[in-house]
Amino acid sequence: MATISETKSRINLWEEILKRFRLNIQTYTIILALVAIWILFTILTGGAYLKPQNFSNLFRQMTVTSFLAAGMVLVIVTGNIDLSVGKLAGFVSVVVAYFQANIWNHLLPNQPLIAAALSVLVGLGVGTLFGVIQGYIISYLQVPSFIVTLGGMWILNGGILIVTEGKTIPANQPAFSEIAQGYLPSWLGWVLAIGVVILLFYSMLRSRQRKRQYGFELSSLSLDILTTTFFSILVIVYVYIVNMYNGVQTPVLLLAITAVLMSYISSNTRFGRYAYAIGGNREAARLSGINIRKNIFMIFVLMGFLSGVSGIVLASYVGYGTIAAGTGYELDAIASCILGGTSTLGGVGTVFGAMIGSLIMTSLTNGLQMMNVQPAWQYLLKGIVLILAVYADVYFKKNR
Amino acid sequence: MEDNILEFRNVTKRFPGIVALNDVSFTIKRGEIHGICGENGAGKSTLMKILSGVYPYGTYEGTILYDGKELRLQDRSIRQAIEEGIAIVYQELTLVPNMTVGENIFLGKEPLLPNGSIDWDRLYAETAKILEKYRLDIQPQAIVKYLGVGKMQMAEIAKALAENAKVLILDEPTSALTEAEVDKLMEILQTLKEHGVTCIYITHKLEEFFRITDSITVLRDGKAIITAPTRELNLEKLVSYMVGREMKERFPKGNRHPGKVIFEVENLHAIDPNDPERKILNGVSFDLREGEILGIAGLMGSGRTELVTTIFGEYGKITQGKIRLDGKEIQIHSARDAMRHGISLVPEDRKGMGLVLMQSILKNISLPNLDRFASFMRINELAELKAAVTQAKNLAIKASTLQAPCDSLSGGNQQKVVIAKWLLSSPRILIMDDPTRGIDVGAKYEIYKLMNELAERGVAIIMISSELEEVLGMSDRIVVMHEGRSNGCLSIHEATQEKIMTLATGIAEMV
Repeated sequence: MATISETKSRINLWEEILKRFRLNIQTYTIILALVAIWILFTILTGGAYLKPQNFSNLFRQMTVTSFLAAGMVLVIVTGNIDLSVGKLAGFVSVVVAYFQANIWNHLLPNQPLIAAALSVLVGLGVGTLFGVIQGYIISYLQVPSFIVTLGGMWILNGGILIVTEGKTIPANQPAFSEIAQGYLPSWLGWVLAIGVVILLFYSMLRSRQRKRQYGFELSSLSLDILTTTFFSILVIVYVYIVNMYNGVQTPVLLLAITAVLMSYISSNTRFGRYAYAIGGNREAARLSGINIRKNIFMIFVLMGFLSGVSGIVLASYVGYGTIAAGTGYELDAIASCILGGTSTLGGVGTVFGAMIGSLIMTSLTNGLQMMNVQPAWQYLLKGIVLILAVYADVYFKKNR
Repeated sequence: MEDNILEFRNVTKRFPGIVALNDVSFTIKRGEIHGICGENGAGKSTLMKILSGVYPYGTYEGTILYDGKELRLQDRSIRQAIEEGIAIVYQELTLVPNMTVGENIFLGKEPLLPNGSIDWDRLYAETAKILEKYRLDIQPQAIVKYLGVGKMQMAEIAKALAENAKVLILDEPTSALTEAEVDKLMEILQTLKEHGVTCIYITHKLEEFFRITDSITVLRDGKAIITAPTRELNLEKLVSYMVGREMKERFPKGNRHPGKVIFEVENLHAIDPNDPERKILNGVSFDLREGEILGIAGLMGSGRTELVTTIFGEYGKITQGKIRLDGKEIQIHSARDAMRHGISLVPEDRKGMGLVLMQSILKNISLPNLDRFASFMRINELAELKAAVTQAKNLAIKASTLQAPCDSLSGGNQQKVVIAKWLLSSPRILIMDDPTRGIDVGAKYEIYKLMNELAERGVAIIMISSELEEVLGMSDRIVVMHEGRSNGCLSIHEATQEKIMTLATGIAEMV
């Protein structure tokens, strides 16, 4: 081992790729698992699995729980858990449906756009408010999050029954339906894709320039171009495929924006950094002057907000508010985080990983449904995959 | 009967890129107390891990003769080592806190009644027999978590002895003990010796080797440098074998010129916020000058750590007394407040309180200082990296990259990271709670040098230390604590070990 120095000897491109690969081995492992699942189902369904229509639906299906998973990562990273998010999304969905069906059409007849916008505000408000209450009890009154959110889950379940009175409420009005069922016109999809590609290259070059300003050794330009090109191709291929069906799906676009934002928050802001420090060593974080209560409070507020988003998308997606809305979504969200490498002990986990985890779960469900596998066997297989995936992770860590 | 219980012959253990043990050969006589000494990274723990089966037979080269036969431990199971009669009493105790001493001792091998349920009477009778035989002064039915650290260790030793241990390895057994408990431990080791148990004794406190061991092996850079009877060695010789050079001075000379008083604590009283009945401070007064190192001495439990964490705003609730900075009274309610006033604390327990071990060196260094690199929306990661690189260089932190997680570092380097993180916040007052605990001689020396440099630049340092020599070697003045009170302040010219001890034990009082 040598004393830290800024200078590094030059190594060739291939070695650098390998090094980068090794650094993020866990992320690449689950991406490989995802690819393996896709190949498997494509073969089993005679190619139907990756046809544009199913490909498009697959990504749309993952959105509702993915919003929850995006928030759950930080909750778990701080060493907490939120069991109420599924029912909170469900509660938001029935409240929004209730407003859509019973209130706006009296107050604002024939104003679908304004009604939809107000519904969104109500949904976000309800979710955030519930997050504020739970967050306050957890962080300032010091009741364990497991208990608070378990209680919250039951309370919300009661709330759902009160709002729906046991009936199904329609939420299929125009404009509102667009949120989860809309598609961008294909030209807009392409504009978006090109915009993203330009942004990727711009930020890559900008980051190199800034590194130079600070006097750090740059990684090789060809490697950076290679990585950026790779991600650009992914974006272009994605848009190409979904454009062969109906176009870029609005909920997926919303999710992509959310995931990028959450990813940014978790790694590039003090708020995010503090969350990881708290989960890694609470005492060290406290003695470093971090306001632990405030940080955890804010994380639950954020979780509530994202549950609100999830609930709105859910209502729009199914077109109804039902008594069973959101049942079990919290566990799907938690499983997605775990599959994506979030440690239940706290301190470790990424939003990107959770998104891949969520995509794996959805890919499994979707594929099994396509093959007409009975629900009983679907559950069984999902359970086995979750346990196997985590075992594989434990195994590789031990034998590295 | 074979005279040697353990014989290492040309033992070599390689890790990728590093040779942890290099052709190590030495012998340990039956029934002796054998000290193993060396800096961190010298190979002590690797050697002990081989002995306990963590690195099983076949993963190292060379042979180990145990009781005349070759020791072949299989497959990472420390169980087998214990069955062979080799037991380790770890630095971190490994008892189940909610169980009784007896339950812990017989965990996994409880005596059973014919119907399959646990034979509690026999379990406690056997426990009592073991405790009595080795004169261990604990109750079989005592719940472990209510025992003090010293008695917990006795329970740990009893547990090893219950397995009929022939070789007992003690790894840093006294690092958390009070003087009285250390004395008791020494008595216990003598009793074990009478019963023919061989002890391997590892510690950073070199004085203890001369107190208790019969012979000493010095390891340095993976090699066994010397094995000699303790009576043929002395402290200077030992240190020079360890570092490979004559080390005339354990404490570097500073060129410190204490200036004006900047910080005063006056008659501070505080209670435990979780247990208002418990008084943790009963009247502490001292002042601190710019560019001075103020030592705080006192026995374990005298309130030293409680004092500094209370000043730092993170422990006791102040009921009486004043804290003044630059002559003005200040209130500190949290670490954040303290940092705003330019006070930093290098805590006692670097793993538990100083570092987020799983995170990188970089993230640990920047954690309390993110405000300087961040707006609400963004952390300037390059400015952060730049600052951390500078700190790491100044402190000579040894690691391949700043992205390396802290749990991969040696104790000395971990402590440097903790210090780096607090120096980055440019403190006026730096509180260091036992800054050299459990780190090797070389790293200690570097930390002392650093303290001198800081003080020369005008930083006021408060240093708590369990080692009297360290307090005497480094301080300008020494505050001695006893039962939550400051029992006197000695200038370095008048201070001696005896004076400090009489104040620390409350035999004498100075006002």
